[in-house]
Amino acid sequence: MPTGITEQAVTEFSRLSSMERLNSVALALTRNGFQAQAVETGAEARQIVAALLPEGAEVFNNTSRTLESIGVADDIERSGHYEPLRLRLFQMDREMQAREMRVLAASPEYVVGSVHAVTEDGSLLIASASGSQLGPLVSGAAHVILVIGGQKVVTDLDAGIRRIYEYSLQLEDQRAREAYGMPSGVNNILIMNKVVVPDRVWAILVHETLGF
Amino acid sequence: MSLFDYDTRPATPGVVLVDTGTSPEAYRIRDFLSRNGHHFEWVDVADANRLRSVLGDTDIDLSSLPICILPDGTRLSPATLEQVAAGLGMVTGPARSAYDLTIVGAGPAGLAAAVYAASEGLHTLVLEAIAPGGQAGTTSMIENYLGFPNGISGSELATRAVAQARRFGAEILLARSLTGVSAEGPGYRAALSDGSSVVGRTMLLASGVEWRRLDVPGVDELLGAGVYYGAGPSEALGCAGSQVLIVGGGNSAGQAAVRFSRYAHRVTLLVRGANLASSMSKYLVDVISGIANIEVRTHTQVVELRAEDRLREVLVRSLTTQDTSSLRADALFICIGGEPRTDAVADAGLMIDSAGYVQTGGELGTLVELDESWNLPRPPLPLETNLPGLFAAGDVRRGSTKRCAAAVGEGSMSVALVHQRLSEIGSE
Repeated sequence: MPTGITEQAVTEFSRLSSMERLNSVALALTRNGFQAQAVETGAEARQIVAALLPEGAEVFNNTSRTLESIGVADDIERSGHYEPLRLRLFQMDREMQAREMRVLAASPEYVVGSVHAVTEDGSLLIASASGSQLGPLVSGAAHVILVIGGQKVVTDLDAGIRRIYEYSLQLEDQRAREAYGMPSGVNNILIMNKVVVPDRVWAILVHETLGF
Repeated sequence: MSLFDYDTRPATPGVVLVDTGTSPEAYRIRDFLSRNGHHFEWVDVADANRLRSVLGDTDIDLSSLPICILPDGTRLSPATLEQVAAGLGMVTGPARSAYDLTIVGAGPAGLAAAVYAASEGLHTLVLEAIAPGGQAGTTSMIENYLGFPNGISGSELATRAVAQARRFGAEILLARSLTGVSAEGPGYRAALSDGSSVVGRTMLLASGVEWRRLDVPGVDELLGAGVYYGAGPSEALGCAGSQVLIVGGGNSAGQAAVRFSRYAHRVTLLVRGANLASSMSKYLVDVISGIANIEVRTHTQVVELRAEDRLREVLVRSLTTQDTSSLRADALFICIGGEPRTDAVADAGLMIDSAGYVQTGGELGTLVELDESWNLPRPPLPLETNLPGLFAAGDVRRGSTKRCAAAVGEGSMSVALVHQRLSEIGSE
C-alpha cells in the first residue's frame, strides 16, 4: 500500500460489498436512469461488455486498472473486433493533428471505463487528473459502459469524495509515478446522479475487488 | 508532455522494435507500422538501460537486427516487414474466390471506389501493398479538401475511408501486392505477392505513383539511414532538434516542410525551380513563408551525400552560379514527384504512354485504331483501359489531375462504369 494511505481508509474503502448490497445499488442506479446489473465475476462482466459492443464499433477504453485486470482492455485493443480509438490517438501527430485528436477523443461512439465510487442511492463519482475522460462520460460518447469493482460502494456522496482523496488517489498516484514519472491529482471530479438519455449508460457491478 | 501522451497510452503491450536506426529494413517496418496506425516502441540499440529492460542481459549480435518483439512475446530476429505484418495478424486471405470488382491500391481513388462499389452491393476487394492512404496518406495536413474547413491529415482521411468501406462490406487486404494480371473469362485474375490469386469480374487499377528516385550517388545505400522517400510520419518525432533537408517544390514537399518544422531545429527546402509559386498551392506557400525555421533555397540541386554511419552532409549546387556548398543534414526527405506504379500489369497488354501512365477512354483512339486486345463493338468507356472491364483511376492514369479530390472523383465515377460493364457481361 502507498505510504499516504491510512489503515482506516483501507478498512473503510477496500471492503468488498455483499452481493445483496450490490443488487440493491444496481436497483438504485436503475431508478436513476442507468442500465445496471450486478454480477459475480469479472469474467461475467467481460462477457457483458463484449455483448454490448457491436462488431467494428469505435471504442475508447479509459485508463483503468479494472478493465486491464479482467481482460476488457485487451479485448478492445487487441481482439480485432473493434476500432480501438486509444491506439489510433496514440499514433497521431501531436503537433499536426492536435485538433483532430481533440475531436476524436471528445466524442467516441463507445467509451468503456470505471468509477471511483458508487453510492448506495445510485450516484457515480469519477475523478480525473487531466479531465479528458470526463466529457465523453457526461455527453460526448454515444454509449458509456462502466465496470465497477464491488469494493467501491459507499454510503453517500461525502463518503464517495473521501474515498477518492483518501484511498483512490493514493493508489492512482503511485501508479502514475511508476507509469508516467509524474504525480496524479484530483483535479476534476464528475458526479453522475441521473441519466436522461435512456440506455446510454451501463453500470456493471462486480462482486470482486477490481481497480482503485 | 501532451495530455494525450498519457491519456491515450495503450493499456496493452505493443510492438517493440530494436535497431541501430540506420537499417533500411527497420525503416520499412517503422514506416509500415506507422502508416497502418499500429503503435510501436522503437528502442535504440545504443540505449543500454532500455535495451536491458526489453531484452534482458543478453548480448546483441548486430547481424540479428532489427529485433521485433510482438505483443504476444514472439521475438523476430532479424525481423522482416512481412514477418511482422503476418505476426500481427494483418495479413489475411480473401473471403471469396471471386469478386465483382477487384481494386488495386487503397489510396484516395481506390478507397472511394471501394466505398461506392460496396455501398451499391458489389462484392468488392481492395489489394494494398503497404498501407491505406496512398501518397495522400502521408500528407500531414490537407487544407483544401472539400468539407474540412480546418483541414484534415491524409492519414485521418484514409482511416475514415477504410472504416467507411469496411462498414459497407468491402474487404481490404494489407501487405499484399499485385504481381500480375491475366484475363479469366470476361474478368481478370490478380496474382498476389504471397502466391495466391483472386478473380474479379472487373478490375480497377488505382495503384498510384511511387516517389521518383533521386539520381545522386549514395542515396540507395543511405535509405533508412537519414535518407527517406516521402515524408514518413514515423520519422517526425525522431527529427526533434535536428537539421532536416527536403528535396522538391511540390505540395508534398511543402507539407513535409510544415510537418518537420514543428519538430526540427531547421528545415531547408531544396527547389530546382525559380520559386515555389509555380509548383505549390498558394495557401501552402503562404504557410511556409510564415514559419521562421523553414528556409527555401531555389535554383538548387543535390549533387552528393556524405555519410559516416548515417547521413551527415548534403552537397548542393546553385543552378544560377554553379557554386557548390555543403549543408549539415540529419535527415533528407525526397519528395520530387511520382512515377506511375504499373510494374505488375506490364505483361497484361495495357496501353501505357511513354512516361508509364495508363491510357484510358478516348485517349486510346477510335475503334479502328484499337488493336486486337479490344474485342467489343463499342469504344472504351471513360476510365476504361484497352482491356475491357479493366479500369484505371487516380494518379496512375494518364491525364489525371494530381489532387486527392480528383482521385476520389475518379474512383467514385469508375463504379458507375463498372456497373455498365457488369451489365454487359451479365452472368458470364
